[in-house]
Amino acid sequence: MVRWLLRRLGAGLVLVWLVATVTFALVSAAPGDITQRLNDPRIPPAARQRWRRDFGLDRPWPVRYAVWLRDAAMGDLGYSWLNHRKVLTVLGEAVPNTLALAGLGLLLEIGGGVALAIVQLRRPHGKGDRLITLASLSAYALPPFLVALALLYLFSFRLPLFPPSHMFSPAGELQHGLPRLLDLAHHLILPVIAIGITGMGAVARYLRGSLLDERSQHYVLAARARGASERRALLAHALPNALLPLITMVGMSLPFLVSGSLVIEVVFSWPGMGQVMYNAALGRDVPLLLGGTVLATVAVVAGNLIADIAYAIADPRVRL
Amino acid sequence: MKAHAKLALVATTFLGITVSACRPGHEGEPPATRSEEPRQGGQVIVALPTDVSTLNEYQSAGESTEFAIIDLLFPTLMFEQPDYQLHPPSFGPRLATSWEFSQDNRILTFHLREDAVWSDGVPVTAEDVRFTFSVQKDKRVGSAGLEIKDFIKDVEVVDPYTVRFHFTRVYPYQLMDANDGHIVPAHAWGKVPFEKWRNTDFEPILVTAGPFRLASHNPNQTLILVRDPGYWAKPHPYLERIIFRVIPELSSQLNQLMTGEIDLVQSIPPREAQRIKDDPDLEIVEFPSRSWGFVAWNNRDPLFADRRVRRALSLGINRKTAVDTVYHGFAQLAVGPVLSSMWAFNRNLQQLPYDPQQAAALLSEAGWKERNSQGVLTRNGRPFVFDLAYPSTNTLRAEIAVLVQSDLARLGITVRPLQMEFTAFVAAMESGQFDALLWAWEEATKVDLTTIWSSPSANAGSNNFIGYSNPEVDRLIAAAREEPDYSRSKVVFDRIQEIIVDDQPVTFLYESKQLVGINRRIHGADINAVGVFFNIEEWYWGQ
Repeated sequence: MVRWLLRRLGAGLVLVWLVATVTFALVSAAPGDITQRLNDPRIPPAARQRWRRDFGLDRPWPVRYAVWLRDAAMGDLGYSWLNHRKVLTVLGEAVPNTLALAGLGLLLEIGGGVALAIVQLRRPHGKGDRLITLASLSAYALPPFLVALALLYLFSFRLPLFPPSHMFSPAGELQHGLPRLLDLAHHLILPVIAIGITGMGAVARYLRGSLLDERSQHYVLAARARGASERRALLAHALPNALLPLITMVGMSLPFLVSGSLVIEVVFSWPGMGQVMYNAALGRDVPLLLGGTVLATVAVVAGNLIADIAYAIADPRVRL
Repeated sequence: MKAHAKLALVATTFLGITVSACRPGHEGEPPATRSEEPRQGGQVIVALPTDVSTLNEYQSAGESTEFAIIDLLFPTLMFEQPDYQLHPPSFGPRLATSWEFSQDNRILTFHLREDAVWSDGVPVTAEDVRFTFSVQKDKRVGSAGLEIKDFIKDVEVVDPYTVRFHFTRVYPYQLMDANDGHIVPAHAWGKVPFEKWRNTDFEPILVTAGPFRLASHNPNQTLILVRDPGYWAKPHPYLERIIFRVIPELSSQLNQLMTGEIDLVQSIPPREAQRIKDDPDLEIVEFPSRSWGFVAWNNRDPLFADRRVRRALSLGINRKTAVDTVYHGFAQLAVGPVLSSMWAFNRNLQQLPYDPQQAAALLSEAGWKERNSQGVLTRNGRPFVFDLAYPSTNTLRAEIAVLVQSDLARLGITVRPLQMEFTAFVAAMESGQFDALLWAWEEATKVDLTTIWSSPSANAGSNNFIGYSNPEVDRLIAAAREEPDYSRSKVVFDRIQEIIVDDQPVTFLYESKQLVGINRRIHGADINAVGVFFNIEEWYWGQ
């Protein structure tokens, strides 16, 4: 177990380094740099050259790469060129926002999916089952931005029930404690639904399939024979086993909690990682881009690791 | 910059542009159309396409929305007046109450107001002015505007409320250059060593001296300014707060303007203007922006090196139709290198007409006579084919590219519109790696043709990315720069414009207007070319 863990961590570290290196190469190869922000006839060419020197862009890329790698290895991701603050600070502000939005979205996706599958299995191939299948497949086929725009149109512009964007209302920005939290909750509803609703259908489809398989297994039949109700046999016996494939799915979704959904964040003006990374890419903010990529890669590695461990705990047949 | 002093009311109609400057303060006559009493309080919510990257001007890359917010927080020595139509801009008092030049015009003395204080109560003094100058000049700080101070040798503190600027030479824009840049607090920011300025977050140590101060800033979300009760100048704002909401998506901005979630959008795309105008709760304020768009021909490219060819291209593009179609009437045809709203504009310049016959004749004179099997013009076997690049962020330019393509196709020229990611586009432009491209410059109120039209110097990276080079123009631009008397330099500027229009290094397309969408219930707003928040102190909510 310990050896397995160490090996996985080692491999993860190599992966993080590889991704950071490839990102660095791509960013260096991309045309243009941060000084393109100074495109204004009033700003003389000398200013651009000065910026290049200040940001170290006049040095050859191997030197820049070595410096970055040395600092990163010591935990220093440097300063964001666009924000004039530490990369870690900028990411530290954005990650919780994304985590809240994507986490709740994921929760809705899984919770809603599980609930739908259970409802469907009450009468498999019945009317309700077929209707939910149709609805969940349609939802899955819809691009998230379309869902987001439809939600906005219906529940923000036509029926002004929910705010169209941001984490807080202007008044909420200046409040503290519970009122601020309630304001946040109000703002979370539409984007969370926009994230959750499309994936919900997929989860329901997966789970319905594996629940159907499990239900016809002998152990479920045995449970019924021992007098367990239909409901108990489904929820207490078949469901835990049917959930196993879902663990992998959730594990693979973990990076999304950190990287966020660019589309949803832009449509709802949500200040998360998606927006930060998008602006960093457009503005050629190299340290921020690299820092964000490293963070996302760490999340991928951690997500997979957690999924494997969870699998081993949930399924006694799996040994690490 | 904004004008605020109670000087004479200058209201002038010039070339169809109305600009009223130096509006009276609260005590003065209220605008004639508004009869109600201004109300204290309330807030205005303004859409921001991207968050400010800093509130310290000397870290900034100079984006105009960022600059506008900085201008609400920090004072300059003087208010630049919106009178650049008539002569080089004049100035009104702001932090300085008066100023005078020495006999030889090399020393400029400012007398500062003695009641000005920073938001922490510390007086604003000559020491702050001197400190700001040292920030502006310091290479480690690396302010984008460092070169503006090239001819200022030193700033000397005479007493707490008197400063002297020492110039190394006499030239027309001495006042403007001295005034450039907001005054920053020496007592608060002087503690940060200059080598750390680039990587310092100044918000935690933000000390301001404007009508508003920073209340909160939630990155990429909301920036809230509140009225500063300690503001030392008159008039005090009626509004309690200005709230800037970061809304990256343009359609979200417009929708929220229409639902009343926000009150002001600073830049409405021309095609959406009618939708906003039709809304009874909203109005559109339009004014000439100082930006002008053009088709840049790479003058180094043999294809465009010949002046006759460039003229033919300009004659062969139906510019009027293109501009009217794409800008829906919210732009006018540009004629030359100086904006028609500037004092230095040569009013005798002739617009090049749309004249495909003359264009064809000029092309044939330049050797483009034959056509190949596809009907494309050729010279010595080489077909007239080129890429016309434009940035993907600008849909208006995509439309122009298509119109240019279809107009030039009639002359037998194949144009391939080429959409590029913005930063990649700018990189291609600056390095001269392009055939032709669509671009626009936003001009300062200072008329200086050096960076765009003087021959690109040997040390590369000049803003003359098209590689235009005319020794006569170089000589005249240098002469105009040296001439302290603006009526004499006007003669030189007139001549430069004639030559450049003759040479057609670019095809001049449009001078655009800025369209601001604003809630009708906001009264007292005088939004003009100087800035959207020109007289923010006088805005108030009507019934």
